[in-house]
Amino acid sequence: MKKSTIVWIQGITCNGDSHSFFNYQNMKNFAKNFEIIYHPLLLSDFDLQGVMKSNDKYDFLIIEGSFTKKAEYVDRCGYSFEELVENLSKRAEHIICAGSCASFGGLFRQRDEENITGALFSGEEAGGYWDKNKKVVNIPGCPAHPRWIADTLFMLREGREVLLDEFLRPKEVFAYFVHHGCLRNEYFEWKIDTKEFGEKEGCLFYEHGCRGPMTHANCNKILWNEVSSKTRAGSPCLGCTEPDFPRDNVYETKTHMSLPATPTGVSRRAYYTITGIAKSFKIDRLERKLIQ
Amino acid sequence: MTTKEIIQRIEGEATLELDWEKNKITYAKIKFLNYRAIEDILVGKHLLDSLMITPRVCGICSHSHVNATILAIEDCYRNVGIDLKIGKKAHYIRELVLNAEKIQNHIKWFYFLILPEFFKISGKKLTQTEPFKDREWFEAQKALSDILKMGAIFSGQWPHGSFVMPGGVTSDPLESDIINAKNFLTLTKEFCEERLYGRDIEEFLEIETVNDLLKFDSTLDMAVTHLRELEFNKIGKSYDRFISFGKYGKINEPYKAIKTRIFKADEKFVSESLENSFFDKTNKGYTYSKSAVYKGDFYEVGPLARLMISKDKLVKDCHRRCADSVVSRIIARVKEIAILLKRCEYLLQNIDIKEKSLKTPKFMPKNISSNGVGIVEAARGTLIHKVTVEEGKIQKFEIIPPTVWNLGNGSPKNPSIAQKAIIGLDSIKKADFVFKSFDICSVCTTQ
Repeated sequence: MKKSTIVWIQGITCNGDSHSFFNYQNMKNFAKNFEIIYHPLLLSDFDLQGVMKSNDKYDFLIIEGSFTKKAEYVDRCGYSFEELVENLSKRAEHIICAGSCASFGGLFRQRDEENITGALFSGEEAGGYWDKNKKVVNIPGCPAHPRWIADTLFMLREGREVLLDEFLRPKEVFAYFVHHGCLRNEYFEWKIDTKEFGEKEGCLFYEHGCRGPMTHANCNKILWNEVSSKTRAGSPCLGCTEPDFPRDNVYETKTHMSLPATPTGVSRRAYYTITGIAKSFKIDRLERKLIQ
Repeated sequence: MTTKEIIQRIEGEATLELDWEKNKITYAKIKFLNYRAIEDILVGKHLLDSLMITPRVCGICSHSHVNATILAIEDCYRNVGIDLKIGKKAHYIRELVLNAEKIQNHIKWFYFLILPEFFKISGKKLTQTEPFKDREWFEAQKALSDILKMGAIFSGQWPHGSFVMPGGVTSDPLESDIINAKNFLTLTKEFCEERLYGRDIEEFLEIETVNDLLKFDSTLDMAVTHLRELEFNKIGKSYDRFISFGKYGKINEPYKAIKTRIFKADEKFVSESLENSFFDKTNKGYTYSKSAVYKGDFYEVGPLARLMISKDKLVKDCHRRCADSVVSRIIARVKEIAILLKRCEYLLQNIDIKEKSLKTPKFMPKNISSNGVGIVEAARGTLIHKVTVEEGKIQKFEIIPPTVWNLGNGSPKNPSIAQKAIIGLDSIKKADFVFKSFDICSVCTTQ
């Protein structure tokens, strides 16, 4: 099978999705299947001008960074972002939005919410740079995990079905919650908060702002850099794959009548009832250090 | 005559506007044209939210930014009379995570940028290091991802981990995590020994002269040999003035060097000039990059500065022969990988997991009114974060990244570090490569 071709361009970005992708674990096999025609951080046969002037068709246009139609916000080798997107999106079979900025607008949208968006969303609202574009797959995350990008590319290359959720995210990744596979799950079950940062024990959901139970991503299933995750390193999930990322006051759990928000899909009353019951157990083992 | 050259693959792009006379560059304007207003986005935010936002300044050095921010926040506490007394374990973990990122940066710079560009200039394919094609490039890509795994064991992920909090670090590693981290460190070390240095790290670190360096058949030796043939040991020279505010590793205090003479330095003399930038009210600006100066003078930052100030014997020998040329910058940056690998070994060996990772402050900075400065030595040099906070909300956040030290714009009478290194060159190819020898990060330059 012929190699699939990739053109990678950037809007308003920190390059984090590129650098995350450069950690991909089987780059040799990736290179056997894909050819990167252009990437802004790598030397390749084509530069951006060459790609813009050609009429070639590409299998994948990967876009990293927030979208904007305002010419003064992005200058890539003399091209505005709109010029890049208008030209290249028509010649690409698939458009992959790598990261939360390209998907939803991300952090940089906070500069100018009118003019900085994602491809098809503006935060949680439908309608971003485009109102419609059937080629788009969103792979949010700040950054996107290298496997989320590579696995999606392989599936599309092999003609396999990529089921998407309402935010156009591949379900294989985003049907999961960050909560799944979190090592602090037992503390969550029995509603035992971590006493302070810097400990293995306790759940970060009740006081420390963790968004694990409402953030769609398989971080704790496939792990980051193959070894860890935010919650494993004692740091709350920031909800970076969701369209409302980044939220304000992230290291504190917002409470309602001194109770935290409920996990996605759970009724508030039922949740608080079960919380009360769970807390009443006072499990001694979970109140102690894991290793003493 | 004036020409405009777009410089690509520098974590973004820049434009060099070059003035020419008799086939020599007489002046160079350096233009960075993308700007994201992160300092403005930070205003009004809760102080701790800066720990989430500042890593997003830059995808290749996010943990340098988060380290600078936590130091600035802890300085805010200090300035209201609370010393958080960060423990040794937390210090070591912060440094380890930072070093993983720096090693990654340097390997990536050498294999993703310098070698490919250099072979483009020379027209010869001298090593098997072509990106996405050759074995050694894939090995380098694996080596940098391995060292990031070492860091991610403590930071949760790279890039954009958030593993620091006032009082320490959030991770609470086990002995087996440290063993695992040591294993990843070994993998990166082995790559450097087999390919990059062609000898054991310990042996490499003992080399004191460039002549001794070139006795082996390694990728570094080969690169230096051919860079000398192309006379990059004679060009790219700037003021021969260096500065480093390091608070990690060997250099613990701010120093500056004028050639080989070393003096104490102080952060209070650092300022950011808006001259030539779009932020300047004169409307004559042409770039989003500001310029960092020390008492009004330009100083080079980065590995060459750090190793000149720490009197590294190999780098000093190189400097004696070819001053602050391209070759000196390359040798210093590649040498620093070995120094950092050794330092990581020490840190991993000496983390006491029994110590608390974090000593929770008596109050979280909800209502704090203060100001603070945080400084780290990032891969590309000195990075400074300054924050002013009132009632727990950020009033002002200033980010001075390493690249504005090297890549700002001065004037024809007082050019910046990179401008001075480019003025006098006779070809665009050379100007492009000299520019890249500073290891440019366009996203940091114009946050």
